[in-house]
Amino acid sequence: MAGRERDEIFLELTKSICPVCKAVIDAEVNIREDKVYLRKKCAEHGPFEALVYGDAQMYMDVQRFNKPGTLPLTTQTEVKDGCPLDCGLCPEHKQHACLGLIEVNTGCNLDCPICFADSGHQPDGYSITLEQCATMLDAFVAAEGEPEVVMFSGGEPTIHKDLLGMVDLAQERPISAVVINTNGIRLASDKKFVAALGERNRPGRRISIYLQFDGFEEATHRAIRGRDLRAIKQKALDNCAEAGLTVTLVAAIEKDLNEHEIGAIIRFGLTHPAVHSVSFQPVTHSGRHVQFDPLTRLTNPDIMHAIVEQLPQWFQINDFFPVPCCAPTCRAITYLLTKGSPDDEDFGLVPIPRLLQVEDYLDYVANRVIPDWEIQEALERLWSAAAFMGTETSMDRLQKVAEALDCADACGVNLPEALTDLTENAFMIVIQDFLDPYTMNVRQLMKCCVEEITPDGRLIPFCAYNSVGYREEVRAQMSGVAVDAVVPNAAPLQPILIPGPYGAKRERR
Amino acid sequence: MSETIDPLADPATAKACCAATYSSDLVETLLGPAYHPGGLTLTRRVLAATGLRPDDRLLDIASGIGTTSFVAAAEFGASADGVDLASDNVATARKAAVSRDLAHRVAFHEGDAEALPLADATYDVVVCECALCTFPDKQRAVAEMARVLRPGGRIGITDVTADQTRLPVELTTLFAWVACIADARPTEGYVELLEQAGLTIDLVESHDRAVSTMIDQIEARLTLLRMTSPDRATELGLDFGQAGTVINAAREATASGVLGYTLIVAHA
Repeated sequence: MAGRERDEIFLELTKSICPVCKAVIDAEVNIREDKVYLRKKCAEHGPFEALVYGDAQMYMDVQRFNKPGTLPLTTQTEVKDGCPLDCGLCPEHKQHACLGLIEVNTGCNLDCPICFADSGHQPDGYSITLEQCATMLDAFVAAEGEPEVVMFSGGEPTIHKDLLGMVDLAQERPISAVVINTNGIRLASDKKFVAALGERNRPGRRISIYLQFDGFEEATHRAIRGRDLRAIKQKALDNCAEAGLTVTLVAAIEKDLNEHEIGAIIRFGLTHPAVHSVSFQPVTHSGRHVQFDPLTRLTNPDIMHAIVEQLPQWFQINDFFPVPCCAPTCRAITYLLTKGSPDDEDFGLVPIPRLLQVEDYLDYVANRVIPDWEIQEALERLWSAAAFMGTETSMDRLQKVAEALDCADACGVNLPEALTDLTENAFMIVIQDFLDPYTMNVRQLMKCCVEEITPDGRLIPFCAYNSVGYREEVRAQMSGVAVDAVVPNAAPLQPILIPGPYGAKRERR
Repeated sequence: MSETIDPLADPATAKACCAATYSSDLVETLLGPAYHPGGLTLTRRVLAATGLRPDDRLLDIASGIGTTSFVAAAEFGASADGVDLASDNVATARKAAVSRDLAHRVAFHEGDAEALPLADATYDVVVCECALCTFPDKQRAVAEMARVLRPGGRIGITDVTADQTRLPVELTTLFAWVACIADARPTEGYVELLEQAGLTIDLVESHDRAVSTMIDQIEARLTLLRMTSPDRATELGLDFGQAGTVINAAREATASGVLGYTLIVAHA
C-alpha cells in the first residue's frame, strides 16, 4: 500500500543552473494547481523553485506548435561541457538565428532600476569599434548567409558615436533589416539623427525602432526607468513618424506595477501613426531589477489573460499563437488588420487568426496535410522572431495571407486589393518571456533563435548570455575590469545578496 | 443576393432560396472558400472515430477543395473519393491531388449528395462534415450514404445542431440560413435520420466550441467586409446592423445550448 498522493504532476526532467553559483544542475518541471513550476537543487546553495508558465492547460496545448529546427551554416564552438556551457552556437544547438543582437556599448544615459544588461552611467565598461562591429556582422552572415534582422542594442546604442556607421556596415551586408533598441532620449532631442536613420530606411534595407515603452503613469516610469520619460517618449514617437520610421513599443511588465497598463499600451499603439507593433516582456530577472518572488512572477499566459481582460471587445485568448521556430512557450504572437484609429466611430479591428485556421498550418506534430503550402510559408515568416513590421518580408507575407482570404471570383470583392491599405495598417502583438537564472530550462534554450553576437564572433542564445555568466565574461574581457557574477534579486536570496558596482546583486562572500 | 426577402413573412421562399444561397456570393464572402468548423483537428478526430484504416475506401460528401480526402490518404493511408456539387471545387481538388502527389489515391466527382453518382456497397467509411444541415432532403441524403456503404461500414458526421423550438427569432432570418443554422437539427434529429436509414449509432460527441469559433469567424469576416468593401456588401444584400444582431443572438444561443456542434459515428 502506497502513501499519500503528491500534490503535483511531474512533467519533465531537464537541466538548469544554480541561480547563485551557475553550476549546471538537474531540474524538474511540475504542474501544481494549474500552473507550471521548475524546481532544482544546488548541492551548495539549496533548493530553488520558480513559476514558468501560469496556465498549465495552455502549456500542454502549445507544445505541438514546434517546428523542426534549421541548421545554421556554421557553428562557432565545440561540444565540450554540455548545454549551457558551450555557447555558442555549438553543433548541438537545435535552431539557427532568426535575430542577431549586437550590443554596441555598456554605457547608458539612464540608470533604470530594471535593466537586464546592468547598464548606466558607469566609470568603466566598453564600446565596440566599427572594426569590431564589422567582425560581428561577418560572423552573423557566415552563420546565416542572408540574415533577416540584426538589432543594435546596449547599453544605449544611440549614444555610441559610430552607430550610424554601424548601420551602414549592416546595410552593406546581405542583412534585410536593422532594428535599433533604444530608450528614445536621443530620438526625442536629435531630429537630425532621426532623419539620418530615416534616410537609411529603404526598400530591402529597412530600419525600425524598438522603443522602450512601459506605460503612461508617472509611477510606472519612476519604478522601471527611474525618471518620468512620458514627454520624451511622445516626442520620440512623433519624430519617428515624421521620418517614416516604424516603431515597436516594447513594454517590460512587472507584477503589481504596470500589468494594468497593458491594454492602454495596445490602444495607444493603434492610435500613433509610427507604431505598428507592441512587444510585451515580463521583466527578465537577470541583471538589475527590483526584488521579486520567483513563485509569483509574471509569465506569458498572464500577459495574454491581461490583454483579454483589459480589451475584451477586441481580443480572446485563442487569438494568440506560439512562435514555432523557438520553444513554443517562449513567445506568442498575433496580428491584427485595422482600419482607422480606436477613437473613430467606425474603427475596425480583426485578429488574423479569426480569418484563417492558424493551427491547421503551424501544428507540426499533427499536420502532414497542409491545406496550402504558400499560406504555411507566409504564416511561418509572420510567426517568427525575425518578424518586424515594415520589413518587406513581413509585409509580403501579410499580403499573401490576405490573398488567402480572397473571394474575388465569387463575390466581386477583391479583398487583396482592398486589403492593400489594411496591411499597411496591420499591427503585431508579441509576448515574450525570457529565461532567467531561476527559470532556465536547457530544453527551451537549445532551440533559442535570438542570439547575442559577441565581439569574438560567437552567437550566444540571448537567455544564456544574460543568465549563465557570458555577459559578465564578455564585459570583463572587453573592459579589462573584473565583473562579479550577477545573482537574481529574488526574495528568498536576500540574506546572501549585496549590491554589485552597477546595481545588480551579487553574492555576499 | 440581389433581391431582399423577408424570410419570416415567407418561409417557403426563404427555404427554396437556401440551397441557392449556400453557394452564393454572400456565403462565400462570410464563410471563406475553405470554410470548415473545427478545422483539420476535428477532421482528424472524425476520421479516427470511424476507425479508418490503411487501404480502406473513404467517401467524403461535400468534399470542397478536398482537404479531408487528402488527410485520409496521407495520414491514414486510405484511398478516398470526394463528391461536391460545385464544379470549381472539384477542379481545384483535382489539381491539388496532383500537386500533392496523391492522384493515385484520391478522386473527385461532381455530384449531388441526394443522388450520388456512385455504386452501391462501395465504401468502408463515409464522412460528411458540416454539410448535412444544408441539404434540403436530409433523409434522402442519409439514405444515399447508407446505400454506398459496405456492410459493416461506418459513417462519420459533424454538424451544427440547433433546437429549433428555442431558436431566437433573429436566428430564423435569411442570414441564419447562410450560417447553416436555420435547417440544422438537434443532435437527436441527426441520430434519428441515421437510424431511419438502418444505421446503428456508435458514438455521439459534443464539439460546441467549434460553433463558437464559427461565429467568431463569421463576425471577423463581417468586420473585414465592413472595413474593406462596405458598398459591395450592401449590394450583396448585407445589412451590417442586422448581421450584428444575429451574431449576438447566435452567441447567446450557443452559450445556452440552443446551438451546438456534434460528431456522430454510426455503422451499417
